[in-house]
Order: sequence, then structure tokens, then C-alpha cells
Amino acid sequence: MNVDIKIKKASLAVFFFFLSIMFAQRNIYHIPPPNAQLGEDLAIKVSLLDIEKPIKGTLYYRSPRGESYLEIPFVDTGFNWEATLPSFSLTEDGIEYLITFQFDNEKILSFPRVDPFNNPIFVRTVEEDNYFGESLESDILILSPFPNANLNTNNPIIAVSFFNATEINRNSVELFLDGIDMSSKYIFDGDILVYAAKGLQNGLHKVEIRSKDLDERMIKPLIWSFSVKEFIEEESNTISYFGNFNSRLTAEKIVESEINIAEFSGKFSLDVQWARLDNSIRMSSKESIFNQPYNRFGSNLSFGRFLEVQFGDFFPQFTNLTIDGKRVRGLGLDVDFNWLRFQLINGELNRAVQRKSGINGAYNLIYDLTDNETDGTKTYYLDRTGFEFKRGIYGARLSTNLFKKVELGAHLLKIRDDTTSVSREISDANFFVNSSIDGIKSGNYNLNTFQTQLLLNNHNLLAPSSNWKGIKPQDNLIVGFNIGTFLDDRKIAIDFDWNLSLYNKNIWDGALSIAQLDTSIDDSLDGFIGRTYDENGDPIISSSEISTDQIPFDPGKMKDIFIINTNMTPLIPIDYTIMKSSPLGAIINMPSSAFKFSIRGKYNRNNILLEYQQIGPEYISLANPFLRNNSRNFTLQNRIGFLNQKVFVNIGFKHRDNKILSTVVNPLNTNTFFINATFLPGPGLPTFSYNFQSINKNNEKTNLDSVGSKIIDLREDSDATTSVLALTYPFDSGNIKNNITINYGNVINLDNFASKRDESFFFAKTNSNILSFNLSSIFSSSLRTYAQFNRTSLEIPTFENSLFTKLPYTLTSLSFNINRKFLGEKLVSKNEASFLNSKGKNSSTLLGLRSGVDYYVREDLNLNLVAYFRFSYNKNSVENERKIDINASGMTLTMLYRF
Amino acid sequence: MAVKIMVTCILLISSLIAQDQIAVATKVFGNVEIFKKKGSSVEIKQGSILSIGDQIKTSRGSFAAIIFIDDRSVLKIKENSTLTLNGQRKRGSISKEINLQGGSLRAQVTDNNRKNFTIESSVSVASVKGTDFWFINDKDNGQDFIHGLDGLIELTNKNSGLSVDIEAGITGFSNIDGNLQTKKTDPKILPADEVDPESKTNSIEIEFLDSTGKKKKLIINYR
Repeated sequence: MNVDIKIKKASLAVFFFFLSIMFAQRNIYHIPPPNAQLGEDLAIKVSLLDIEKPIKGTLYYRSPRGESYLEIPFVDTGFNWEATLPSFSLTEDGIEYLITFQFDNEKILSFPRVDPFNNPIFVRTVEEDNYFGESLESDILILSPFPNANLNTNNPIIAVSFFNATEINRNSVELFLDGIDMSSKYIFDGDILVYAAKGLQNGLHKVEIRSKDLDERMIKPLIWSFSVKEFIEEESNTISYFGNFNSRLTAEKIVESEINIAEFSGKFSLDVQWARLDNSIRMSSKESIFNQPYNRFGSNLSFGRFLEVQFGDFFPQFTNLTIDGKRVRGLGLDVDFNWLRFQLINGELNRAVQRKSGINGAYNLIYDLTDNETDGTKTYYLDRTGFEFKRGIYGARLSTNLFKKVELGAHLLKIRDDTTSVSREISDANFFVNSSIDGIKSGNYNLNTFQTQLLLNNHNLLAPSSNWKGIKPQDNLIVGFNIGTFLDDRKIAIDFDWNLSLYNKNIWDGALSIAQLDTSIDDSLDGFIGRTYDENGDPIISSSEISTDQIPFDPGKMKDIFIINTNMTPLIPIDYTIMKSSPLGAIINMPSSAFKFSIRGKYNRNNILLEYQQIGPEYISLANPFLRNNSRNFTLQNRIGFLNQKVFVNIGFKHRDNKILSTVVNPLNTNTFFINATFLPGPGLPTFSYNFQSINKNNEKTNLDSVGSKIIDLREDSDATTSVLALTYPFDSGNIKNNITINYGNVINLDNFASKRDESFFFAKTNSNILSFNLSSIFSSSLRTYAQFNRTSLEIPTFENSLFTKLPYTLTSLSFNINRKFLGEKLVSKNEASFLNSKGKNSSTLLGLRSGVDYYVREDLNLNLVAYFRFSYNKNSVENERKIDINASGMTLTMLYRF
Repeated sequence: MAVKIMVTCILLISSLIAQDQIAVATKVFGNVEIFKKKGSSVEIKQGSILSIGDQIKTSRGSFAAIIFIDDRSVLKIKENSTLTLNGQRKRGSISKEINLQGGSLRAQVTDNNRKNFTIESSVSVASVKGTDFWFINDKDNGQDFIHGLDGLIELTNKNSGLSVDIEAGITGFSNIDGNLQTKKTDPKILPADEVDPESKTNSIEIEFLDSTGKKKKLIINYR
């Protein structure tokens, strides 16, 4: 997981907007999927209408109820960029995501284009997990084959009875054989599900039945195994291993730049029944000592369900306000006795990077800091730059679940940058020296040669070993607890999660002593912090002064836990003055606290959520950098199922503001109303969904502001309305099975102050309109086609001739895919032709051809070769000349071996 | 769209009329037919769903195994047999009455409720619980043989009203004249479980050397 993007979200949002205007000819072309399947990975595909190759693409995602985003890098697959959302990230609440692509020179494009972190794309999920996490047992009866049966047929009958499973929603039942979804092939007649398996290979086979109850709660999957023929002898094996290896070679040329990437990844698991070792690896030629690691190595050793030990890269989760899936490299421990659980993290969030800007990016000569000495010589300041500290993390959490009624937990998280991890001297790093230094020629020098030249010219060099001007080392300590309970037969869940952070933004100078603390605000070493004196030397008594006697410990002695100095936030976590009058209010509104209170109810097919979350303006978790601090969030939503769970309606209201501190005069309020209706009549029948969302933003400002002699309009009162209608219609025409999906949506922004503003006011919100058709057809088991049409219209606000205007921009795409199997399904040919046209201030047309084959050499070995060409078509209107160029081309070879 | 509406209706109707289902055929070979209540007949295949009132008829050289959907009790029906599946669906279980009109079957009953599983011929009634036994009805001669393999079977002669308990290793004999006798089972007369003719027999051969150096071979055949 990359961690190098630490741009503040607010500034990033503005940045994205201006970039989107500056680079209007560049576009991220992406159609959000109409829905996501729970339990399945979700592939997000993006095409770039851009002649430049991005440095990297990142998919940020989170639960709609989450505050922070997790990151996945996009992989260039030739024509598209792809990132896969892992199945575990998809919950019944749906998922929110946004896309960014970073180009040279700090240029960034995003999708959505405007304020992506605050307006992420929402994708609903069509299945859902059990709301409270614990699966329900089913009364499904296995009829055939019996568990662990040894069969002497390759065509067994798989049959289960739902005779006693009256609470199961029959429409929800899915059958998986060896992990492959066979739901479209089984016969479900009344109480009996029957699937006639054909041509099973000799060996062990696994059947899994997934289902939900009438309240749409996930039923614990029914899983059993049986074996066919020769494998009977092997089933007594107590040791098994399995896994896969995947290697990929990509060679591309985009305009004039060539990109060659080699990547190897693999998974290997060893199961000895009482213990299991899962290993994963990814090695890429993109790995560089100049950046955070791209390679991944991880092992997970589990002993039953009680103990897990993780080595290498892993993704721990405590709570969403502390650490919630960010990559850690080190050691993790998870001891879970069901009623008692202990989790431990010890590792690093970032590794030390000595030269982040590249091989010559370690030093910077700061001429402005040159000291003129009294003897006429000069001391030049050479700053250490282009580095990143190793960021260590240590965390522990103890939680208990008492009688399946009460959940209690407490956690501690400590994150600190290691100032010793970055070397001051990088002997082979060059830096540029201009001609302003007497006696020294302009050119590239390293530390030694520059120092020698300075000495020869009677100058000195100051190259400090700490307190460098760039990134500062930081320290972060978080403590917290959570408590929850279930009521009324687990139909109501109540949770409360509270955390307090201490954050030090610069620990170069280490911890303060009591004496240093005394003089941190005033200059008098008098036993009081913040005491001032009049001209007679008498103290001016103030309620804000603090006696050092009140500090129960010497901060210097706490340095191993947290470094306390004047750079810490907050200096004092609680407001003593409020504490005296309102202790509870003082604790709740501590600026460095974050808490969440939620009630979830599940009654009569209603899933109700009532939640309040407050993250103080000074609350920081370096293990969760995407938390939106200084925010209060209130959520009320309900998800209802009607007509035997065939119709779902999700309706809710959210309010967000930043009015935690009483000093906030013009809080930014965001009120969101949303409703989502989905109609799922059953397998093989059309599905409909409609999403509506209305977001109002206002900052309670009614008057104009003045800055110097200028009057500026900072009033905000806008509405953004989003509507999306989706229809999926499966139908047969002769022997051809078709599935058509139609999506229509628009985003309309309204400025409620429009009639009161000056004409030159820049209302920076883009209206859009999307229409898409997808038709997939299955002609036979060996021939499938997929046709797609999409038209996106945008109205991009911009200034033209000093006037505010909206530039129309239309993006039209057509694509056609055909997949054909040959050689008894050993060879699959996949071909795609695509057409992309953008019309706006800058217009362009791209034609793409992609062709590839999957060759199943053996059952366990698969080769894939994909080649693509992309042509740009330009017409010179002046000379009436048409020109077709190869815009990009590439080839990817992939080999997958399973065992 | 009209087609979709029709499909939906059919599914709804079929779910309403699906309340007679009782068992599933898990193994079939040879010619086995089902005669539905209405008189239609279909060839039974693996996975066929059987309903209350269905009559099953196995031809020469054929075999069928069916499993009941409420408790996984199994009936293995040998060649040249005819039986009718009767019963009543109740909440949580199915009361099963098998009318054997000739032939041989093996019942492996898991239900411990004696009243829930009976096999009846023109001569006898076997009421069973948690048991495994063969029921052979020789309709030409009006006699039944019941071989107990496990558990307890209450065998009643319908003509005389006499009853006897059949245990494992005991064979009961009941005939049209009202006779009811028991004797120790002769293993040689027990019918063999049917084996799919397509299945192969595998063997393991282990060679031994005796004290004189002579080779001897132990062959274990298995399927």
C-alpha cells in the first residue's frame, strides 16, 4: 500500500479541480459498475484518454460508513488500467471509491473530477453479509453425496434438502462446486436442490451452499467434501499443499516512452490439519529503493482458529478510528479464544528511504541561509532532502465477548518516525551548485568534493545532522476503548468507540524536561506554565496558567512512550477550565479525541442504523491518514426488504459539519439525503435499481468578506443532485442467451446564491450526464460477445475571456469484445475493438485493437498473451488533412501455474 | 417481457404444487420408471425428484437408490421391484409408507420415530425406527422375508395380526396364510448391494516371502 500521498484532502480537492480544467484534454474514462457482488472481488477498470503515461494510478476505497480510505495501485493491463477491490471490502452498505492518476510534474487526475474524496462513487452490493457478523446455522440436509463419501462415478448427483430449512430465502441459494458458481445449473424444486455434476476429475471435490434467511442475513455456508475414484487412497494424507505462481511481462510503448515491467507473484499454502501456513509474494521490477516498497512478502501461520501469526506484509485492523487495514511490515499476532482476543502489531508503516527524489536527490544547497562570518568567510547551509523516515508501529488490543452479549475492548497504538534511519551522508549523491559561490565553478558536486572546494576557498560548510528543513519526524500515541452489547436476541447492537490521540509533529529536539516545559510558553522558570508578570514583577494571575506541580510526571521520563515537547498536539489534551464546570462536556469535546456511537437494529426486515461520530480537530492517527478530522457526522438510515426480499429500499439522511469547537463561526454543513431502490425478482428475471442522492452544502455565511481592499464571496449554499437508473434484462433469442444492462444517470449542481452573486463568480461544480448500454451474449459454451456503448456529457465550469462559462464536453465510446474457445476449450481467443471520441475544447479520437489468447496448456498451467494497439486520429481542419498515428502499443505475457 | 411473466408464474405455481415432494433418486442404473398419480410415466434418472404417490418400477438388471428429504433415510430398490411411495408431510418430518408390490428393497432408516416409517406388502407390515434391513416380497407365493441388519423391526402379519420383533442377524418370514416365524439369518441368502456395472474393481497386491523363500501374494480387491 502506498503511503507517499499525504496531501491534505481539502487542498487536494481544490487541486484536483484546477487540474481538471488545466488538463481538460486528459480524461479518466470509467463507468462505475452498477452493483457489486458480495463475497466476490470487484474489478475496477479505467481507460485514460491521454497521450501521457501516468506514473501511477491509485484506487481509494472505503465503506460508506468509514472515514478513511484504503489504497490499491492500478495495474496497466494494456488497454485498461485495472485494480481489484478485494471481496472482504464489500459489505452490505456498499462501497465508496475514487480514482487518481498521477503524472509527471505533480499533475493529478481524478474520478470523480471534482472533490473526489468528499464525493466518492458509491456502488451498492446485491448480496449482504450477516449484519452482526456471526453467521446463522442452517437446517439444510445433505442428501448426496454424503460428506467424505468415496464415489466411483465422475457424474455424481449433488442434492440437498431444505425441508427443515423453512427460514431460508430460496432465491438466495447459491451452489459452488470446487469454488465455481453452479447456481445457474442447479434445479431447485420445492424443498430440493439438485445438481447433476458431469465429468468430475478424479480427486477431492468441495461443495458449498450459500444462502440467506428471510431477513437477508447470511446463513453459515454448508460445506462438505467428497472424493472421486483414485483419490480415495490419497484422502488419508495429513499434509496438503496448494497455491499458484503468476508471472507477467509487459512491454509497452506509449508515444515515445517505453515501459517494460516484469512481475512475479505467488501464493503457497501448506496445511497439516492442525496448522496452516499461507504465504504470498509479489516481486516487481517497479520496486525501487527510491520509494516505499512495491514488493510484498507475507506469511500467515494459523493454528486452528485460535492463533494466527503474521510475518512480513499484513493488514491489521483494530477499529476504523485507529488502524483499519493499512499495510504493516513486521510481525502480527492474533490470539482468539472467541470470548477473549488479543492482537499485537510490531513493525513498520514506512521503510526508510534515503533518496526519495532519485539518485541525486539527497542534498539541497540553501543559499538564503548562507552566513557571512566576521572574518569575511562564508558558511554555506547544505540541507538534507529527499528522504523518508522509517515509521515504526506498535499496537496491542485486548477484547472480550462475554456470553455473546457484551463486547469490550481496549487498544493502544504507538507510531514513531525513527530519526536514526536516515543517513546524513550519502557519499555518491550529487547536487547542483550555481555560480554564486566565489571560487567554485558551477556544476554538480558530492558532499566531499563540495566540502573540499569550500575549504580551498576559505569557506565553511554547515551540513546539520538533524533538524533538516524538509519532512519532520513525527510521533503519535493513541489509546482507546470500545464497548458494545446486543439486545433482544441480537436484534439490536449498540456500540461505542472512543479514542484519544497525542501527536507530535516534530520530534527532532526530543522530549522536554519539567524545567523546559515551564518555559515553553513564558520565559520565567517559576513553576508555572503560562504565568506572566507585570512591570513590578508581580504575577498576573490567569485561569489559563498551570502549575508544574500539577503535572504528575516528568515528560522526559515518558520519552519512550511519547515524546512531549512544544510541537505536540494538543499540549494539554483537556480544557481544564471547562473541566471544572462540565467534566463530561470537557471529555467529550477534547479536540484530540474521536468517538463513535451507533445503534443498529434489525426488526421485521428493517436494518436501521443510527450513528453519531465525532473526530476532533486535533485527532490524528498516522496509521489511518485518511481520517477526516474536525468533523461531526450524524447518520440515520434504514434498509428495508419487501415482497419476500425481492425489493430493497435503502433510505437515509446524513449530516456532517465541523462545529466541534465553539470558536467555529461559519461551520461547513453537509446534508445528504439518499434513497436507493432495488428490485430483484429472482434468478433469470430483470432487475431494476434507482439511486437518488441530494447533497446540500452550506457554510451559514450570508455576507461577503473583505480581504484588504478586495471583496470576496465565500458564501456556500449549493445542491448536488445525483440520479442513476439501472436496468438489467436477461433474455433469450433462439439459443442465444443475452443480458442487456442500461444505465442512465446525471449529476446536477445548483448554486442557491446564484441570483445574489456577481456574474464573475466561479461556481466550480461540473454537471454530468451518463448513458450506457451493455449487451452480453452467449451463443454457445465456446462463443461469447460483449458490446458496450457509453456517452458521458460534462459541463465543465471555466473562465473564458474573463467570463464564467460552462464548457461542454462529450465523451463517446463504443467497444466490442468477442471471446471464442478452440481446441476443446484449451484455447480461448479474446479480442476487442474500441472507439473513443471526446469532443470539447480539445477533441480527440482513439481507436483501439486488442487481441489475446488464453492457452490452458495443462489443467494447472495457463498462458496468456495480450497485444494491443491504440491509434489516434486527427484531422487538420485548416489543411483538411487526416492523420492516423500509433498512439500506444504493448504486449503482455502472463503465465499462471496452480498446484 | 411476456415470457418473463410466464416464467415467473410457472415458478410460483410450481412452488405451490411442490408440496408433495418426498425423496430424490441418488443412484440409478438400468431402466427404472416412475408412474405418477395421474398415470403418466417417466424414466427415473439420478437427481429425479419423487413425490408422494409415485410408483417406482425397476426392470431386470436395474437398480435405484432414493433418499428421503426430511431425514436422509434411504431405500435401495433392486431389480424387478415395484413400490409406491406414500406418506404425509408434517411439520419437521415426513411420515413414510412404502407399499411394496413385489421385489426386494433395503431400507436404511435414520428416523427414530417408529410411526414415521413403515413398509407394507400385501402380506406384512414392517414398522421400523433407526434400522437397516432387507424387505423381500415374493408376491407370486404370497410371502415376505425380512432380514434384520441393524436396529429393531416390528413385523406384523396382516392376515393373522401376529407381530414379532426382528433384530440384527434375524430373518423374519411372513406369508399369506398368516404364518409368522423368525430364524437366524443365513448370510448366504442375503441379497447383495447393487454395484454400478460401470464401476471398476481395483486391487492391491502385496508380495510376501515365506520362511522357505517362496513368494506368496495377498490380493485385496476393492471398489
